[in-house]
Amino acid sequence: MSTKRRIGIADTCFLIDWARYRDKDILFKIFDLVFISETVLREIKSDLTISWVASKLAENKLALYTETDDEIEEARRLVLLSREIPHMISIDLPEALCLVVGRRKGFIVLTENKGAIMATEVFEEYKDVIVWRALEVLLTAHLERKIDIDCKNPLKHFRGYQEDTLHIFSNKDLDEVRKRIEKEICR
Amino acid sequence: MKKRYVDEKIIKKWLEEAENARRIRREMADWNFINSQPPRLREALKYYVETGDIRRACIFAGMDLEDFRDLLRKAKIPVIV
Repeated sequence: MSTKRRIGIADTCFLIDWARYRDKDILFKIFDLVFISETVLREIKSDLTISWVASKLAENKLALYTETDDEIEEARRLVLLSREIPHMISIDLPEALCLVVGRRKGFIVLTENKGAIMATEVFEEYKDVIVWRALEVLLTAHLERKIDIDCKNPLKHFRGYQEDTLHIFSNKDLDEVRKRIEKEICR
Repeated sequence: MKKRYVDEKIIKKWLEEAENARRIRREMADWNFINSQPPRLREALKYYVETGDIRRACIFAGMDLEDFRDLLRKAKIPVIV
């Protein structure tokens, strides 16, 4: 019996915050493999992020994704198109490239870029691309029981992520994930 | 590449979220820290508070993404997505 492997492709904004999270290796309990494009790898500079990324590349939990010229060209078109639309949140090449690869290969796009998330709502070609933020990664870890869950404090890990990264989830999002954890795990 | 008709509801939803995020960034920011920075960094931080656009803010600051993200933490400016 074969099961489909879950593969992600991460952008820089996701990685540099996630690398600061105390339970960052949870990512590899959820994903069989996470790709990092060469464009994204070139943006990583801090000792902390480089150390984590290098060790996970060595363990084959992260892998390098080499973009093709065609993928870069499609990403450039997506960037341009996004800037032509009034009120569209700006999308840049590294995030656009993740969306392009996510669409072509069926990878889950890991990003904290609002423009990338908005693009999946605005552009027909990208509406089927699955985009996860840290919020969805943590929620999946809960729903698939890959993390210890305290039903008296179902948002413990989300709060921990916020403390470590100063990355704030909205109250609306936190309320929704709390309800799902309570309904599906802590019932 | 085919452009989809942009539903006004989608735009309205994102504009509301952007306004809410802007309000939180303004409230949580350490304005003493921001105002004590050299002009280039100060303006980049203010730009980020108003827009949430980290890549343009990095260019204004003359910093790479990770260094600017650290500066945001020092300025107590949250990333809200």
